[in-house]
Amino acid sequence: MQTPLANIANPSLQAVGLTLQLAGLTVLALLVLGIPLAWWLAHTRNRWKTPVEAVTALPLVLPPTVLGFYLLILLGARGPLGGLWLGLTGHPLAFSFSGLLFASCLYSLPFVVQPLQAAFERLDRRAVEAAWTLGASRLRTFIRVVAPQSRRGLLTAVVLGFAHTVGEFGVVLMVGGNIPGQTQVVSIAIYEHVEALDYAAAHALSLGLLLFSFLVLLVVYSLNRRWHTGLPA
Amino acid sequence: MSAISINIVVRRSGFRLRAGLGLPGDGVTALLGPSGSGKTTLLRVIAGLERHAEGKIIAGESIWFDASRRIQLTPQQRRVGMVFQDYALFDHMTVAANVGFGLPRRRRAITVAEWLERLHLGGLAPRYPHELSGGQRQRVALARALAPAPDVLLLDEPFSAVDYTLRRHLRAGLLEVVQDLRLPVIIVTHDLDEARHLAQRVGVLVDGELLRLGPTEAVFADPGSRAIAQVLGWSNFLPVRRLMGRRVAGPWGEIELEREPSIETAWLGIRPEHLRLAHATQPGLPARITGIRELGAVREISCRLEDGTMLTMHRPWDDPVPASGSRVRLHLPLPWLRCLADAGPARVVPGHDGDHPRCDHVPPVGEHPRVRLVPE
Repeated sequence: MQTPLANIANPSLQAVGLTLQLAGLTVLALLVLGIPLAWWLAHTRNRWKTPVEAVTALPLVLPPTVLGFYLLILLGARGPLGGLWLGLTGHPLAFSFSGLLFASCLYSLPFVVQPLQAAFERLDRRAVEAAWTLGASRLRTFIRVVAPQSRRGLLTAVVLGFAHTVGEFGVVLMVGGNIPGQTQVVSIAIYEHVEALDYAAAHALSLGLLLFSFLVLLVVYSLNRRWHTGLPA
Repeated sequence: MSAISINIVVRRSGFRLRAGLGLPGDGVTALLGPSGSGKTTLLRVIAGLERHAEGKIIAGESIWFDASRRIQLTPQQRRVGMVFQDYALFDHMTVAANVGFGLPRRRRAITVAEWLERLHLGGLAPRYPHELSGGQRQRVALARALAPAPDVLLLDEPFSAVDYTLRRHLRAGLLEVVQDLRLPVIIVTHDLDEARHLAQRVGVLVDGELLRLGPTEAVFADPGSRAIAQVLGWSNFLPVRRLMGRRVAGPWGEIELEREPSIETAWLGIRPEHLRLAHATQPGLPARITGIRELGAVREISCRLEDGTMLTMHRPWDDPVPASGSRVRLHLPLPWLRCLADAGPARVVPGHDGDHPRCDHVPPVGEHPRVRLVPE
């Protein structure tokens, strides 16, 4: 995937833009994949539930370098996935934005799936069934009944998924490397500035990240509070 | 207005539900039974929310479920109106949005207004469920279920969430709405008063088996078996050991009935309000009074027969009663004595294809053949 950000001259701004783009796309992809997965985990009695839950939680406990190492092997030009991608698109997966997106999705998976699963488990099952008996399709039931009733879980999933992707370092370094405009995200750029003893640049980026994180959390908590005191969740 | 015919078996580890019933196109049927007897499961099977079943469900002309032909309509495709226990209203929607949820957009506004009017919810359209009283919430749930014009209305313990005084009030309101509906209504309850007030027919479930379905008064007046009688609040049972023509005998003594009892008779049953103390000239069973409790309008008198069988008698509060410990003789008025089988008699035979008896054709008590239950 070619990013338009490659044209931006300022490398710091470039890194910021790339990070936001990566985090945004990661959350989007994870919502599409994570909502069905979390719904299944919340309601299934299948014997595969526990193994799937464990695999989903794996990125929580695994050192990012371990995850990154195996992803590098998987995504490399000779790896099963990287080879397939190369054959299909003519581009390598490793050390590219697409590969980075794939890695981020795996790395942030538990941060999206777990809040969603918890929200779906708390959901009043009979409200869902009531919607079905009233003729609402599964999609309509999700949009009109499930999503509003689990909006706090959805918000938590989005914020945690986004923030965790912004903060990743080890996996990015292993899979994405450090290509400005391609794979150099903020955390890597900061690292590079510090390595080069350019503390001023490191400061600017770090402070920016700090303020951004604080603002996001502030918005989330105040939204949560309003939803809590307004309608019954 | 379409009749509904249900004939299903549900098997789960440690539990089996078998029920066969045919209901006409209108009128209220109450499903009675102790908790865990499968009442709610039966309702969920009808609604299509419980998908692992065998058998058939046919509503009017349409087949909702036929395991042998692999037909299984989703809850969305069946035309059921369901009122859940605690109502399961959509908390984040207004009353109007709740009621309109099952309606197509173009006739939503008109139909919602009609139903709000009909259920006396006029001014409440913009309110949220948490701003309503228990009775209002119930009416919203009812309006939401009825607005899309379902083929059958299912109510799961509609009064469990409200206290006793309100319950009597709501019952009257529900009766008013349901009476005018031209569709079969099935109401699950364990409250006997509720069933007697609301339903023209009752079905009795015991341990996952629909044992009896018939007109309310007939079933309450003659339960047919001890298991059913217990569900219906009967408490006095005399074990029967020998049948000799019209005479039946047990460890408690002997009695001559008005008619010859059926061969399945294993118990004699009598309701507490029909039991009385014998006059000096009347025959009676010797007993000792072991306790007297005042229950307001009636007095509950516990008696022990000579063989140890305990009987309960209800007498008006102003009837003189000998003190606790007194020896008395108990009179069992023959018209009120009922011959009861042990389990069965399965008046409704589930698991058989096709012709299950419709409740309005139930043969008079004592005249139907005992039906063998097919062993598992």
